[in-house]
Amino acid sequence: MNAAAHPQSVQPGTALSVGARQRRSLGRRMTLLMLLPSTLWFLLLLLMPLLIILVYSFGERSAVGGYAAGFTLDNYLNLGSRAAAFSNTLILAPLGTLVCLVAAYPLAYFLALKVSKNRSLLLTLVIVPFWTSFLIRTYAWIFLLSGKGIPALLASFGLEDVRLINTPWAVLIGIVYGYLPLMVFPIYVSLEKLDKRLLEASADLGASAFESFRRITLPLSAPGVITGVMLVFILLMGEFLIPAILGGGKVFFLGNALVDLFLQSRNWPFGSALAMTLVAMMLVIIGVYLKLVARYGGRPVDSGV
Amino acid sequence: MNDNPPSDIEFCNVVKRYGEVSAVNGLNFAVRRGSFHSFLGGSGCGKTTTLRMIAGFEQPSSGEVLLAGKNVAGVPAFERPVNMVFQHYALFPHLTVAQNIAYGLRYRNPRPDKKTQLRMADEALEMVRLSGFGQRKPSELSGGQQQRVALARALVNKPTVLLLDEPLAALDRKLRKEMQSELLRLQREVGITFVLVTHDQEEALSMSDSISVMHNGSIIQTATPEQLYEAPASRYVADFIGESNLFNGTVRQLQGNSVVLRTEQGLELESPLTPTGKTLSADAPGCIAVRPELISIAGANADMLREVKLPGRVEDRIYLGNCTEYRVRTQAFGVICVRVPRQQDHPANAFEHGAAVSVGWDHANGLAMAL
Amino acid sequence: MDQKTFIKNLRSWQNGSISRRDFLGRTGLGVAAAVVASNMPGLLMSSAQAGEQKLSSDRLALATWPNYHSQENLDDFGKTSGARVSMSVFGSNEEMLAKLQAGGSGWDVLVPTNYTISTYVGLGLIEPLDLARLPNFDASAFQQKFMAQGTVDGKVYAVPKNWGTTGMLYDSEKLKDGPASWKAFWAAAQGPASGRTMVHDYQLTAIGNALKSFGYSFNSLDPKELADAEKLLIEVKPHLFAINSDIQPSMRSGDAWLAMSWTGDASQLHRDLPQMQYELGKEGGELWSDFFAIPKSSEHKDAAYAFINYLLDPQHNKLEVLSHGYPSGDKRVDALLPVALLEDPIMYPAAEALSPLEFGAAATLTSPARAELMARFKSA
Repeated sequence: MNAAAHPQSVQPGTALSVGARQRRSLGRRMTLLMLLPSTLWFLLLLLMPLLIILVYSFGERSAVGGYAAGFTLDNYLNLGSRAAAFSNTLILAPLGTLVCLVAAYPLAYFLALKVSKNRSLLLTLVIVPFWTSFLIRTYAWIFLLSGKGIPALLASFGLEDVRLINTPWAVLIGIVYGYLPLMVFPIYVSLEKLDKRLLEASADLGASAFESFRRITLPLSAPGVITGVMLVFILLMGEFLIPAILGGGKVFFLGNALVDLFLQSRNWPFGSALAMTLVAMMLVIIGVYLKLVARYGGRPVDSGV
Repeated sequence: MNDNPPSDIEFCNVVKRYGEVSAVNGLNFAVRRGSFHSFLGGSGCGKTTTLRMIAGFEQPSSGEVLLAGKNVAGVPAFERPVNMVFQHYALFPHLTVAQNIAYGLRYRNPRPDKKTQLRMADEALEMVRLSGFGQRKPSELSGGQQQRVALARALVNKPTVLLLDEPLAALDRKLRKEMQSELLRLQREVGITFVLVTHDQEEALSMSDSISVMHNGSIIQTATPEQLYEAPASRYVADFIGESNLFNGTVRQLQGNSVVLRTEQGLELESPLTPTGKTLSADAPGCIAVRPELISIAGANADMLREVKLPGRVEDRIYLGNCTEYRVRTQAFGVICVRVPRQQDHPANAFEHGAAVSVGWDHANGLAMAL
Repeated sequence: MDQKTFIKNLRSWQNGSISRRDFLGRTGLGVAAAVVASNMPGLLMSSAQAGEQKLSSDRLALATWPNYHSQENLDDFGKTSGARVSMSVFGSNEEMLAKLQAGGSGWDVLVPTNYTISTYVGLGLIEPLDLARLPNFDASAFQQKFMAQGTVDGKVYAVPKNWGTTGMLYDSEKLKDGPASWKAFWAAAQGPASGRTMVHDYQLTAIGNALKSFGYSFNSLDPKELADAEKLLIEVKPHLFAINSDIQPSMRSGDAWLAMSWTGDASQLHRDLPQMQYELGKEGGELWSDFFAIPKSSEHKDAAYAFINYLLDPQHNKLEVLSHGYPSGDKRVDALLPVALLEDPIMYPAAEALSPLEFGAAATLTSPARAELMARFKSA
């Protein structure tokens, strides 16, 4: 029935002339040619470093630091010595992602569905912090979270002796602050694309506002949620700046372990092994996540309007 | 309480304002239970606002809306016994056709169990002749099929009133015709009140039991299709529904049902007063409308036994298939439109461009009405 | 951190630095800045305009620590010599070494700390200085103990820049009985200053001062002694406020009461907040000295010698000391400084307090045992 509705599209290109065919193969060659730079980029700048790290991860630390050729599994066997970094990262990265999601969704929802007048202004405000260095902004949080900042404010409400700076909470707050826009925007885009008439249709069919949200808005914004979660989670797994600055060296991520290994103890092989493990872990986690999404969340890719 | 409410929908002095702008001004109408009612008008006439106030998406600024005899002020859309078929169907893209149709069933009281829901969805699909399509996604259906799903999704809830917001506007002409008869069949089958909003007068005329013609936020006339066409209440309706030759003027004489009008061109025309409109008084402005198919056309020298006869020249000839339209310039009234049905004794090319002709009609062919 | 301090810190962060061996090391930004600076001089630092040409080189690349130079001197040197100074600031000696070791640094002068010099020499990265080209340098003006640190096999590879100590700083309003020994420091960290103590994010001092509390050498590599130090560090860790070399903001805000501190941080904090007290460990601790050295790979050696010579001029060096607050160790400079500064016990501790202090030892720089211990402490 579908095909019958478009009879003119049934036999495309069966009567191509020789000239047209030549043009077509030239076009294909042009396409390949234009893909070449990005292919080279991908090979040189993405795969090569990964390959080097892989080779390094089986090497040995030279006497004065750095890399010495060799083949040993010791670096991988020594991963246990960074157990705390693994557990910190594996707890705070998903937790941070979740809190980001919970904080970002209402904001994105508000911007996409409830604001009509100053939307672009409000959207700009979400990005404005990006105009200054992330480092400076995170340092500003030292002030906010230190004894004379938020804890002092809480104390004036009778909540004495709250310690924030250099705790996992401070790192979590920094993470949510830093990564919120990355979560807000994909969700905002998917909600903004949402056909508002679907919500009217849902209400018309008897669904309350909450039911409409649960059955229509939420599933249809799933692509944005999935993108935002992946974006934030992947970056958080490699995060080192926020724990270094707001964790006071006490909340140690894999990223911090890596920085220390490469820049302080200059144990490149062990650092490489840690990096490879991090990459492998992320691949597994994201693979499982996408599988779960596909199984329980329907096919988000198809649900575009 | 009224045991026998005559109407499913009743509007009493309903006004809807958006800030300074009023979309709807004092609407009063009632829709008889089980009938097919249409709101007809151009864009911005207030017809969609009216429909949305019935559905509950908009609340009236003042006045009362009654559904099945009950005032529904403050009742949200999801609690109203009405369902809507949206202009662009508004099917849920992430759900299958069956899930779309069953969507509203879980909010019914009592709530049917899962199996019953599926059975009802299947029945609804059968009703719109889409059996076997339940597992598809809406994006895998053609426009007409999506339209049927939207219908099934609304009807499966057995609403008191089914609202249709320009449901056929996106379909091509042939499919539209098909869906029109489909809608009529369904309406007869389920027997519930259908309310259609459309800008397509042909659609409204062919489907409705009654039609409200809307203009600038007001209802100009509510009547059966026949009455609207044959006895328009005002100049606006006569002009909007079908084609009319309209002659403006001042009432010179009123005798019973007969009106004599002095036209702007200084000529006097006579015709009966329209039965549905306001009565006219002497010296009031008015107009006489004559449908083009009631006007005769003949060669300049031919005998014509009509009470009004005017010489003229053919300015345009438009072939319309089932009839031929002539635009004849007359000395007295400017261009007059004449339609001649296709008949064996009247070939389509009877009169050439520029030919000298005479046109004519009887007093009884015209209708006098207020402006 | 009050508003004024915040703005002040913000300014210094914008200059790419907070304090010596600071977060640049942890963030790796130092290396990035170094790469950019060495390849694109003048991009990161606005240098003085080239004046009359006196040197054959028109540029000079300097690898140093943050907040460690008088801008006035840098500008003036650029003007009079014609060589624009482009500066790369670093977070740690480990990083500086890594960068020079990797090659292609393009540096002409670097500022290594004493304990790293023998490694630089051993790796053939720096060369003996031609003292004839440094007429302003007078070996007799410096104490022998500082001079010795820059001398390897009788050859002078580096001349002293500044020196200082690593001690403990405490807020005497919050902490009544301040510690005066490293044993007391670690005890206070687990007692009255629990949750209020900061330890350097730096293997040399963090491990060294833990070793001192047992009476071991600051530079010990003995596995048993290191194990004791590690046990202590891991025990103390839950009580720490932070492992962070940037002590000033938290000490100022009152969040931290006790911290490991270098001379400069201590004198700056004490100047602003008199209740900040600085003590050296009774058992000893670190005495350090920074040096000027010229990498073998330098392509602008004439400018390098001219630059070092310029800064060693007592009048110029006085400006340096006044600007960053670290003692120069040069008698001729001390003679030009105000008496109040010379009597400051933080900048110039008494001889008996200095005597037990040790210089950092070269072996700690490259020791995998200490590096791994530090890493275990941080990731515990």
